[in-house]
Amino acid sequence: MCKLRPRPGLALAGTEHILAVRTAKTSSATATADPINDFFAGLAAPGHLATFEHEVGTVRFDVPDAIAAADVTDLEHWHVTIDDGDVTVSREPMPAEAVVRVARPYLELMVTGRLNAMAAMLRGLLTVDGSVAALMVFQRCLPGPPGSTGKVAPISSQAVMAQRRPM
Amino acid sequence: MSDGLVQILEGNTFVVSDDKGDIEASRTDPTGLFSFDTRFLSRWVLTVNGQRLTALSTDDLQYFQTRFFLVPGSGTVYVDAKLSVIRQREVADGFHEEVRVLNHDNVPVDLDIRIEAASDFADLFEVKDALKKKGEYGNVVAGDSLVLRYQRETYVRETWISASTSATIDDHGLSFSITVPPHGEWKTDLQVVASQGEPDRQADGPIGIRGQRRVREDMSRGLEKWLQRAPTVDCDWRPLEHIYKRCMTDLAALRFSTLTLPGRALPAAGLPWFMTIFGRDSILTSLQALPFTSELASTTLLALAERQGTRIDDFRDEDPGRILHEMRYGEMTAFEERPHSPYYGNADATMLYVILLDEYERWTGDSKLVRELEHTARAALNWISDYADLQGNGYVSYQRRNPKTGLENQCWKDSWDSISYRNGDLPGFPRATCELQGYAYDAKMRGARLARLVWKDPAYADHLEKEAADLKRRFNRDFWVKDGEYFAVALDGDGRQVDSLTSNIGHLLWSGIVDTSKAKAVVKHLMGPRLFSGWGVRTMAEGEARYNPIGYHVGTVWPFDNSFIAWGLRRYGFKAEAACIVAGILEAAEVFDGRLPEAFGGYERSSTMYPVQYPTACSPQAWSTGAPLLLLRAGLGLEPNGDNLVVDPALPSWIGNLELLDLPGRWKRIDAFGRGRIDTDRVTRR
Repeated sequence: MCKLRPRPGLALAGTEHILAVRTAKTSSATATADPINDFFAGLAAPGHLATFEHEVGTVRFDVPDAIAAADVTDLEHWHVTIDDGDVTVSREPMPAEAVVRVARPYLELMVTGRLNAMAAMLRGLLTVDGSVAALMVFQRCLPGPPGSTGKVAPISSQAVMAQRRPM
Repeated sequence: MSDGLVQILEGNTFVVSDDKGDIEASRTDPTGLFSFDTRFLSRWVLTVNGQRLTALSTDDLQYFQTRFFLVPGSGTVYVDAKLSVIRQREVADGFHEEVRVLNHDNVPVDLDIRIEAASDFADLFEVKDALKKKGEYGNVVAGDSLVLRYQRETYVRETWISASTSATIDDHGLSFSITVPPHGEWKTDLQVVASQGEPDRQADGPIGIRGQRRVREDMSRGLEKWLQRAPTVDCDWRPLEHIYKRCMTDLAALRFSTLTLPGRALPAAGLPWFMTIFGRDSILTSLQALPFTSELASTTLLALAERQGTRIDDFRDEDPGRILHEMRYGEMTAFEERPHSPYYGNADATMLYVILLDEYERWTGDSKLVRELEHTARAALNWISDYADLQGNGYVSYQRRNPKTGLENQCWKDSWDSISYRNGDLPGFPRATCELQGYAYDAKMRGARLARLVWKDPAYADHLEKEAADLKRRFNRDFWVKDGEYFAVALDGDGRQVDSLTSNIGHLLWSGIVDTSKAKAVVKHLMGPRLFSGWGVRTMAEGEARYNPIGYHVGTVWPFDNSFIAWGLRRYGFKAEAACIVAGILEAAEVFDGRLPEAFGGYERSSTMYPVQYPTACSPQAWSTGAPLLLLRAGLGLEPNGDNLVVDPALPSWIGNLELLDLPGRWKRIDAFGRGRIDTDRVTRR
């Protein structure tokens, strides 16, 4: 259903992200059919997110089902209101500072950490009507790529020297 | 930049052409019209009756405006001296070019004027690395415009070219068949718009990448206003006024607006290839410029806060709280073939962020912004303890998690051989360079001040100060090279000292982490013959195995580095030594006609007489542009103290009287005066 391939070198297994919203946990046995629903449910559940403190903004996602978005009449909506850390999510197509249009397969990749929002915008997979700043605020709650651990094995001086020309 | 190329810029849009105004780029040749890290024109050639033109002269009118005086014919023989052509080009959302053809003859003349255009839509990274394109090209004539187009899946970039007079347009250019009356002229206005061309809306015309076209008059007025708002410098040593004006004009050219903060500007890192947000460069330049303008600092703080890391992303070396390293907008970033959306791989910008926030408050008294950014600053301070301590030894270390396209050395000396032992061996990873510990100490101390003063959280302030004191105590024990009496450049992965002598010890003075009892020994090294060249402090001391006076980070003198060292010397009370650095770098600035390069050779001053420029791609470079500003601060001993500005001058004697008028800050406007009394020649010309 989706033309995009995940970035080479990144495992597809779910992982834990150090993030207020742990939607990437929807892996393994409990994987559900609708990661987008899960993501927004997880976003609204705590009611308050520290990463959004001092921020006020509204973002609406207009989501056509297919990548070829000729059929504009059939859109799903997610409307997110951020008010100094308080987060509410609605399915109504209410006005918003940023109206983001992105096809369902790509939004799925974004909410599961497989597609970076800024890259998606530069690539034309996602368009913003209105405030890019509001989208910038929103993207803070998106998870990192599955497989990212924050860990890396140390490299010895000998290994570094072996790669470099001698003096 | 090679000679003969002309660059004109605005924001991150710039043109590099030859002295005739023509562009003939090859795959790897860095000429063209660039915008948002993408080349939008790789060919732009003007001919008259099929012949190329010859340049009589080229004038840079403003940093965004150039005029080319041309005559038909190539080489030294003019085909027709009775004709001249004037091209005047201004950068906006693309560029605007006025072409005027003047007939100096008594009879009318019929001419075919042609402008050829093409684009390879190369990403800046592709120009640097000579990589192949993956998408498809297609030129179309749409109404009265020639549209050059590139498409890869949904990624579309277009260049729209149109003229104000009637033209015959084909896929490769615009032609004009004209008659110019005797002693008359013909002119046309060419408009080139760089567009992110959304395919659905193509019929409506080009969509500029910024969404709207800048008005040219605004830009002239903007520069004028910027210079008018700046404090004035009056000095017996005349070159200083020229150096200062050059700095402020270059800073204006380096101003960069983000899509999210329209109408505000932060300093980009360098022209033309680094016209983007760099965490480290934007912060350090804002710090250097603070006594003269606080606008760059506030925008930098806001723009970096918007993009602060929030998740673990190994590809981008992102952690929660981390401040970005570099932002890019080109095709390779769009397709996640490069991690710059943004990339977070630096170990210093997060701490420098807190330092800038505090220094900004000290100068401006703008506690509102400090309150607004409390969450950002706390997340940055948390990053130091939660994510930067890779070895669990209480020190900030770095090691990239993206081994393919991430940065190996995540400190300001980011070349591969910059960190080495005395014998030249390179340490493994992680690496804990010494200046990072200094910045961490300073960030905690300054964070504590803000917590107490603005965030009203004295418990947090106490906690930070306790951590800072502990860090300082351990640092002075673990990094101190006993047999040399200086601080090691780093600790390696085993906690062993990487023991070469480098300029990094100067940054330690700036941070305040150095025990007072050790400061004198550190200063002796900084001003001694192994580090001090007569022009400034070398990045690495003579005598180290990897020392090379023209090695990027292993022996050259960096003006920006020296400006922070001078600030550090003042912090520890070494006024005369600071004056020597002020003297050396300002004298070098005079030699470079006011525009300091990124780095120059570390040769002994007495052996070369002139500072030897290190060849770098970018000029002006932001933190070199800011260096004289910070040196003026250091020389005059400017230090905010509550609502007052303390002035405690220690200047080279040959400077004579120096006046800085209308310094902005929490005191509104204030003047600072100083008289040079220090015989710096004794040290700089020894």
